[in-house]
Formats: sequence, structure tokens, C-alpha cells
Amino acid sequence: MIKLHNVSKTYAKSQTKAVDEITLQINAGEIFGFLGPNGAGKSTTIKMITGILTPDSGTIELNGINLAEDPIAAKSIVGFVPDNHEVYETLKGIEYLNFIGTMYGVAPDLLKERTEEYASLFDMKNALTDLIGSYSHGMKQKLSVIAALVHDPKIWVLDEPLVGLDPQSAFRLKQIMRKRADDGNTVFFSSHVIDVVEKVCDRIGIINHGKLVAVDTLENIRNNDKVSLESLFLTVTADGEGK
Amino acid sequence: MKKYLALVKLLLVKQFCQFRAASSKADKRKRGGTIALYVLLALCFAPTVVAIAVCMYFMGKIAGADRYLGTFLLLMCQGLVLIFGVHSVISTVFVVKDADRLLFLPVRAHTVFLAKLTVAYINELITTAVAAIAVLLPFGLGASASAAYYVMLPVAALLIPMFPMLVGTLVAMPLSALVTAFGKNSLVKTILRIAIYVVIIGLYMFLMYQFGFLTGSENGNALDNPEVYVREILENLEERLHVVMPYFHPDFMLMTAMTAADFAQWIAGFAAALGENIALLGLVFLAALPFYRRMLVMSVEEGGSRRKKGNETVKMENRGVVREIMRVDLKKTVRDPQIGFQSFAGIVMMPILVVIIYFCLGISDEGDASVLKLISTSSLYQAIAPVVILAYIGFIGAATNVLGLYPISRENKSLSVLKSLPVPFNKVLLAKVLLATSVMAVCDLLTCVLIVALLGVKWYYGAAVLATMLLIGFGSMCITTLVDLKNPRLSWDNFSGLKNMKNSWLAMLVAFLSAISIATLSAPFIVLYALFGQWFWLLIMWLVDMAAGGAFAAIAYKVMTAKAAKCFEQIEI
Repeated sequence: MIKLHNVSKTYAKSQTKAVDEITLQINAGEIFGFLGPNGAGKSTTIKMITGILTPDSGTIELNGINLAEDPIAAKSIVGFVPDNHEVYETLKGIEYLNFIGTMYGVAPDLLKERTEEYASLFDMKNALTDLIGSYSHGMKQKLSVIAALVHDPKIWVLDEPLVGLDPQSAFRLKQIMRKRADDGNTVFFSSHVIDVVEKVCDRIGIINHGKLVAVDTLENIRNNDKVSLESLFLTVTADGEGK
Repeated sequence: MKKYLALVKLLLVKQFCQFRAASSKADKRKRGGTIALYVLLALCFAPTVVAIAVCMYFMGKIAGADRYLGTFLLLMCQGLVLIFGVHSVISTVFVVKDADRLLFLPVRAHTVFLAKLTVAYINELITTAVAAIAVLLPFGLGASASAAYYVMLPVAALLIPMFPMLVGTLVAMPLSALVTAFGKNSLVKTILRIAIYVVIIGLYMFLMYQFGFLTGSENGNALDNPEVYVREILENLEERLHVVMPYFHPDFMLMTAMTAADFAQWIAGFAAALGENIALLGLVFLAALPFYRRMLVMSVEEGGSRRKKGNETVKMENRGVVREIMRVDLKKTVRDPQIGFQSFAGIVMMPILVVIIYFCLGISDEGDASVLKLISTSSLYQAIAPVVILAYIGFIGAATNVLGLYPISRENKSLSVLKSLPVPFNKVLLAKVLLATSVMAVCDLLTCVLIVALLGVKWYYGAAVLATMLLIGFGSMCITTLVDLKNPRLSWDNFSGLKNMKNSWLAMLVAFLSAISIATLSAPFIVLYALFGQWFWLLIMWLVDMAAGGAFAAIAYKVMTAKAAKCFEQIEI
């Protein structure tokens, strides 16, 4: 479970709030889709949940662990797939996974087993012994996904995970997301692709100018508002351009 | 031309201004601190620059405005630019990381190449300016040079980098090709680069040695009678300079213009120097352009390497967090063409300096006692020499160890990976400091072996130097790591741009202060030893030095770890 309470963030070199008093709860067993236009605050929120950025105010709890009070315990239950693929380019894929496994304290045998499982699933087995710098965009994305799964995280956070993936890999990733949620884990992911969010998510949140402007289940949106997710998104973010 | 200028501007902005913060009161305070830092550093280095300037002044006074000697001085300055500039040329021009951002633009390859060469040239101008102020200006003053000399000084400063730039480019081409031939073996590549770097320095020293500049005079030494010493060196040099110097024609013509007796000689020298430098630049440009194109294509194509077929065994090991961070950091560094060379070239700097000292002082003509042999018989030699060496290693080691100077900035954008890991920041920093100290330890060990083997320092003093240096090195690395942690530069694509950052200067100040502290702590014991001649004063001196080194290491580590979490949290990626 992810719990954000009145979380705000302003970057040191900026005057405006990137994230403005967000309060949100994502339950275990749920896939939560986080939508918003460019620069709305999606990545900043995700970076705060994963401990990369520290909020100026508010609290973040991950499965009941306060991120500010016990960051190590909180981070150890999170798997993170970043959007920029800034994995170490001069390492080999296998070296990177070994590094991540060691950092999360995964036993070598278990790490090997999971690496082989996910590498086969994403057709990456033969590429693991190559330098990451030689990978394509999609391959780096797949490696990030594998690295985020090798320690079997309770909370899985993905920032634009489907960008650059081929259709087969995208399909497999969506399957894994569903399975992890069904197993009682929390899946939080951001995307620009509304169709994907509609197909995969149980609940969605829309952020605009750092504020959470809509949170609901897809079922409620469809039943109550009688509008498509796309229409809702365009309506709640309509005032945004250029602000 | 417009495209060329736009590219030069872009590259310069990327190098010098990309980390510019928005103007605010806090920034103004920071700016004040930066100015204070530069003033302090200038004061620290002033004695060395003044010493060189005084030597040059007296050399000018004795030799007069001799154009052969002047050409030799130009060549010396160019040697310095070459030593410090080759890797800058390689990393700025040939190790291209921005190919995919430039190739699709409607700009010709030669425009990009020329723009990069220009930026490398501008970087070298800084070294040249220092050399011109410390060497050429006092030489002219001493020689009572004419007004033409001073008018031509700025021109000389602009032309001096040309020749080393051209040699650097010519060296960089086979070097890059050779390195590329080793395929993916990054360790061999880095070792090869360092070996070639050592060869270049060796050739430079050999050249100086051949001219007799490093061997001293036959009668007496510089301390007894400096004028006789310098005069004798100049007499030895004269014949060789007259034969060799005209071959360095652009420099010779430049110095001809600088020391011209009349307008005709000045204009002829100036025109020839300018024309020859431009011609050389053109030649190298034509020779290097096809090579640059090849490197550009290779840098884009390397991403498409063929994958191996078949199932390779996946090996997983658990080595512990600190060891794993160190191991991964080392691999990343060695395999990065920009960082690898600069990180490990520092290892050879101090040992080379010891070898140079040996060549300067330890070799003599047959039958004569060398200067080194003469001074090493003094009872004070074993007291002073190891301390001087320790102070030098402390300074050079901490100021040039790229691994310790930029442990956080080196991570670049992938720092977010480190920040998201469930590992205490203290452990991350400890791993970084241990890696930097280990690399520095290799340099320390090599230096200590050489001072014992070549400079006649007793082995137990060598061991004491090593032990003290390890402690001081660890402490210095803790401080430089903290400095980088407080103000890291992320999102860079040309590592040489990091060299200009304030952190490098701050690290240099830390290194300088540790060297001064060592000397200050040891001085009273050396005086006591000189007065009473009892060996235990030296024993106490080393025990005090080691204890101070240990205390410094412990305090620096404690300060670093106390501030680690807060500083890490404040980094916004």
C-alpha cells in the first residue's frame, strides 16, 4: 500500500510547486494508473515515492513504513522502473542485475533463478553478457523491468514503462503487472497512453499543475460520468497549457 | 561560418555554463565564496609561480634576449601544454558522445570538427596564459627586451597552443585507432592510454635532458653559485640550440619577431610565424578530418553489436554492499573512455616526478659525484627528503585523483539509481572513498618504492611515508567526496568540462593545506634533530605525523558521514 498525505515539492531552482499537497492512497492488490500532461508532476511524485527526491512537506508511507523515518526499509520493498533508462551504460546487463540483487540482499541462487526467468520472458538472455551501452532503447527498458523485479517487490512503481517496448514485451509486462496485483502487491504506474491505462488499471489518478484533479475507479468513471477516460482527461487538464 | 560559430558557442556554453544556477541572494553569497577560494588558491600557488619567474628573470639577465634560448622556452611551454592537453583533445574531439545529436543536423562534419578543435584550443589557452606570465614575461624583463617583445606576448600566448594542439591531434589519431583495435577490452585500453601518456612525458623529458637542461653544471650547483650554474648551462645549451631550434621554425620565427632589432625583422618574423602556424593547422585538419569522420561513424555504430548466440551461464555472486559498489564503480570507470584515462593517469604522475628528480640530481658524468649523492650524505637528508616527498604526494595525489574529486558527479544522470537503492548513503560514500584511496595507494606504493630505490631514502622512512600517506589520502578523499556531494554536477556529456568546476579548485586547496600541515608538523622535529642529532626525534616526528594523519582521517570520515544523508537528500535529479 502506498499512502501520500499532503505531499508537496518545489525544486530549488524553480518558484512553482512541482507537486502541490497531494493526498492519495493506493491499496494492495491494485493497479493504479497515474495520468497527466507533460510537466504535470508525475515523475516528481514517483521520484518522491521511490526516495529519489525528498518532499518539502507531507508524509509518504509504503506498506505502513514511513519513508522519511526508515528510508532503507521502505526502499527495500519497492521496485522502480525509471523513464530515462539511466542504467549504467558501461556495465554488462548481468553485472547490473548482480549489483541490484546485492543491493537488495537477494541470495545469489534466487537472483539467478529470477534473472533467468524474466530474461527468458523478455527475450533478453543472450543480451545479458553485453554492455548496456550497446542496447537499444527497448532493451534498456526491459533490463530496468527485470532489475525492478529480481527482489520480488511488494510495491512496483513504473514511470512510462511501455515506451519503446515491442508489442510482445508490452503484452508480457501488462500480464506481469496484473499477476503481481492479483498476488496482493501494489502496482503504481504513470503513462501518457490513455488506452493502456483504460485496459490495465483498476483505478486512476489525474495530476495537473502538481495538483491531483481526479481519482476514481474506471468503473465509476464509465458508469457515473458517462464519458470516456480520454474526455475526462481532456476536461480536467484543459486549462493547463502554458501555465 | 554561422553554423561554425553557433557550434562553438553551443560547445562552450555546454562546458562552462550548463550548470549555471538562477541568480539569487544565495547564489551571490556562493559567488563571494568562490572568489575568496580563487584568491586563496592564487596566494597558495604564488610562491611557486614567483620562484619560476625569478629563475626566468635571472636567465634573461644572463643570456639576454637570445632568440635561440627564447625559442627553447617557447618549446618548454608547449611541452607543458602538450602533456596536459593531449587527453583534452582526445576527449573533446575524438571521444564523441554527442554524435547522435549532431549527425542528423544539416551541418558538415568538418564544421563540427573545426568547432571542437576550436574549443579544445580555447581550453589550452588557460595553460598557455599561465606559462606566458610565469616564463616569458620575466625572461623578457630580465633580458631588457624591446617593446616589440611585450607587444608580441599576447600573440605568443595565442600561438603557443597551436603546435602542441597539432601534435596532440596527430598523437590522438593512432592512439584512438590502436585503442579501438583492442575491441571491448577496456582495461587494456586504459592501460595502453596511460602507457602512451607516460611515453609522451618521457620523450619530453628526454628532449630536455638532451639539451642538458636537466643535468646541471659541471662545477658546483645552483645553491652555491646560481649565476655560474645558469651561465654554464646556457653555454652547454648554446651550440645545440643553434643547430636544433631553427627546425622548430614557427616558434623560431615567433621568437625572431619578439626579439627583433628592427621593423623589417619583426614583420618578417611575425608574418612567417602566423603563416606557418596556419599552414600547419590546415595540414593537420586535412589529415585528421577523415579519421574524425571514422570515429563519428564508429561511435554511432557501436550500439548495434552482434549478440552472441546460445545459452551462456548466468553467474551471480553476493560480495557485500560496499565491495559490490566499489567493484561496479571501478568497472564503470575503467570502461568509460573519458573517465578511465583521467582517473588512472594520476597514478603515474608522482612516480614520474621521482624519476625526473633522479635524472636531474642523481646522474653525473663519469667519475663525478652526483648532486643527489652529495646531498644524501648529509645527515639531514633522511629527515627532510621523506617529509618533502610526503607533502608532494599528499598534494598531487589528492589534487589529481579524479576518482576522489568527482565521486558523485561521475555518476551523472544514473545517480537516481543509487538514490533509489535501499542502502545507507554512508555505505555508498564509504565505497567511493575506499575506491579512490585504493587507487591513490597504488600511486603511493610506487612512489615509495622509487624513493627508496632511486633517491636513497631508507626503507623504513619509505614505509612511514606510505603509512602516513594512506591515512592522509583517506581523509582528503572524505573531504573531496563531501565537497562533490554538496555541489555535484550531473547531466554532463563531456567529462573534461568537470575539470573547470569549483570543486576541483576546492580539492586543490584541501590538498595544498594537507601538504602545508605535514611540513609544519614535521619542521620542529627536524630542527631538534638538526640541533641534537638524536634519531628518536625523527621517530617521534613520524609517530606524530601518523597520529595526525589518523586523526585527520577519522575526523574527515565522521564529518562526511554526519552530513551524507542530508546532502544526498538535497540532490535534485
